[in-house]
Amino acid sequence: MVDLLPEQGSGLLDRYQPGGAFDEAFDADGAVRGPYRRIVERFRELDIDEVKRLENLVADEFRRQGITFTVYSEEEGTERIWPMDLFPRIIAAAEWDELSRGLSQRVAAMNCFLADLYNGGGQAIADGVVPRWLVVSSQGFERNAVGIRVPHSAHCNIAGIDVVRAADGRYRVLEDNLRSPSGISYVIENRAAMAKACSWLFYDHPVEPTEQYGRMLRSTLESMAPDGRDSPHIVVLTPGIFNSAYFEHAFLARSMGVELVEGRDLVVDDHTVYSRTIEGLVKVDVIYRRIDDDFLDPVAFRPDSTLGVPGLLGALRAGTVTVCNAMGNGVVDDKAVYPYVPELIRYYLGAEPIIDNVTTYTMWDPDQRAEALARLDQLVAKPVGESGGYGVLIGPHATEQELDQARATIEAEPRDWIVQELVHLSTLPSFAEDRLEPRHLDLRPFVLTGERTQVFPGGLTRVAMRRGSLIVNSSQGGGSKDTWVLAPETP
Amino acid sequence: MILARHAEALLWTGRYLERAESTSRCLNYAADSITHLRSDEARAEGELLVRTLGLQEELEAVGPLESRPQLVAFLLSDTDNPGSVVSAVTAVRENLRRVRDRIPIEMWEEANGLYLRFPFLGHANAAPSNLHEVLLMVRRACQAISGILNEGMRRDEGHAFVVIGRMLERSIFTVGLLEASHADSRGVMDATRMLRLTSSLQAYHRQHGNAPDFDGVVRYLLRAPDLPRSVLACLGRAEESLTGLGSTASALDRPRRKAGLLRARLELGEVTDAMDSAPVPTLAGFMNELAGLAADVQAGIVPPLAMASVRSQYVRPGRAGEGAR
Repeated sequence: MVDLLPEQGSGLLDRYQPGGAFDEAFDADGAVRGPYRRIVERFRELDIDEVKRLENLVADEFRRQGITFTVYSEEEGTERIWPMDLFPRIIAAAEWDELSRGLSQRVAAMNCFLADLYNGGGQAIADGVVPRWLVVSSQGFERNAVGIRVPHSAHCNIAGIDVVRAADGRYRVLEDNLRSPSGISYVIENRAAMAKACSWLFYDHPVEPTEQYGRMLRSTLESMAPDGRDSPHIVVLTPGIFNSAYFEHAFLARSMGVELVEGRDLVVDDHTVYSRTIEGLVKVDVIYRRIDDDFLDPVAFRPDSTLGVPGLLGALRAGTVTVCNAMGNGVVDDKAVYPYVPELIRYYLGAEPIIDNVTTYTMWDPDQRAEALARLDQLVAKPVGESGGYGVLIGPHATEQELDQARATIEAEPRDWIVQELVHLSTLPSFAEDRLEPRHLDLRPFVLTGERTQVFPGGLTRVAMRRGSLIVNSSQGGGSKDTWVLAPETP
Repeated sequence: MILARHAEALLWTGRYLERAESTSRCLNYAADSITHLRSDEARAEGELLVRTLGLQEELEAVGPLESRPQLVAFLLSDTDNPGSVVSAVTAVRENLRRVRDRIPIEMWEEANGLYLRFPFLGHANAAPSNLHEVLLMVRRACQAISGILNEGMRRDEGHAFVVIGRMLERSIFTVGLLEASHADSRGVMDATRMLRLTSSLQAYHRQHGNAPDFDGVVRYLLRAPDLPRSVLACLGRAEESLTGLGSTASALDRPRRKAGLLRARLELGEVTDAMDSAPVPTLAGFMNELAGLAADVQAGIVPPLAMASVRSQYVRPGRAGEGAR
């Protein structure tokens, strides 16, 4: 028995047309997919006035708590209330199981590569898996990280892997974030807001909880203490209250029950890091840093940095403290290295990737470049050093002039670009004015690695709020959705 | 164990919280009695209020008070005046934001909610038509934050520093009120008004009947052990909190001893005896001692590191000799 569109009800889903992309909730015939059956029924019972009331309830909740993000325009930063769409994303247990295995596999391979690169002599490079010149020319490659011991060889303790679902219904990895991936606090706050505003939606769905993230993160960081010491002193290092992700930094410190520190709260003496408390200096064992490598230590890196801790690099070399994520992870974040990750999985793990990459053309390869530039109007060009969707050129949406300009730029600096096949991100019903319409979305799940690897159930679903738009980044007008992973059915 | 920076932020949360509440109360009362500033009496009352709050220097920068809306805007919404209600509320929010990982969520939400409810944010010098409503909102929010502090926050070092901040600020306000009242040659500040401005009228009536006299009220506000706003009670609570911290932070021994000394001088009647012959100099001297105590607390918290940029935002206007500069 399947539901077909249109259906009797409030009209929120009348005229819902999934379009050409894979729709998460409806198949091509308009039938509701299994995991969404009950939620679609519930939303058909709502009228638009009730939806508006619930939206206001959620917005008030976010406003009161100060759950905001900052949009940086050319002139200044603007603080906005975090946007969340009420129609949740649902992932069935079996689907999540496969996805989480694929994510674990990918992070494991990237950790192997980082350990090999910084502590293992670079075997993968020697064996020609990744070109040496590409690695050493990466802005994320950090020579100072070579030789620094990392417990369990877990260089990336917190990874945010951006995945999308293509028109064929299969997930693909779009991007890896192994430096300071943000968004987890919004995942948990989205759930809290949904639970307050729409608790009745959860009654007939066995949704995996999200509140355990603090415990998961803490246990991961505890396992990263130097020399395996018990009850390590953990701190979260933030750039401060003016950082766009400060809310998240405070959230993480609170949920783990550890101190949120700024660089000025820490001091290094005799290659040991201490925090300045009213009782004097107290030794720090693990720093979950939310600042970039360049700012970590003004003695070793940017001398103008006031965010970091002078002497931290020396303490790392002495092995008295662990910094999570480790320095130098940016080399794998580099979009130019991304095309090699499937091969790294085969090389280190001897297995085929469970989740594929999006088909990517490397611009430093003349043949691939020629092919990609010839059909750039059908592809997506991405600068390798940008994030947040900035600098991306979507071929089908670009003018001839923009395409010509992009071709010239890529020809001039091929190392700085990759070109990918355009993925028609999957869609999900989302509120637009007075009804639900399909909007494109992606997913950023979080993978924690210390002594062992854990994949947090769900992740941050980002949704493009404008019709047809493929840009889901909140900094460019995207919104978010609560992400439900359904628990396995009990027999 | 608490970071020095967090301790400082919580101390100043307490101070600004108290300042927002006491300035709101003063302005609420003044707005009733000062309907215009045309008469000398009304102008004198406005100036007395400014003196009580220690904002003479800030007022000088604005110019002489010429209208009631000007007075209201100066004390309520002038963001250039660090002693205005909106400045104090903003400072509470900013300080709590720095420590939001270690305070109850509700405490942050209340402070953030208060800040966001200001209808004139971004409109400096606005004097809202619903003044009483706004001031009531501020007082209620401050009391709600205090309630959450008392009922929802663990009795740890962070809690102690908020209490110390509140008690220091309250002592300074009360002594400033008494000093301004004694210096007021026109007799604008009578006994009833002093009790109203410290929310102590009802308590005084219950204890002493319905005819407050000036000297009796002064002694009551200084020495009543069971009045939460008396200077004696405030110093007692500050001392108690400092004693709790003293076991772990030896740098706070000095302010703890000083708080005890000031409390003892009040308790033994030394201050009130001295006031019999020279009330204004005695109160001014006591104010300086309180300022010294605040400076010692600050010095005990902040280890020797450069925090000048942080400290600069905390300068209390118009308080010569006060610490935390």
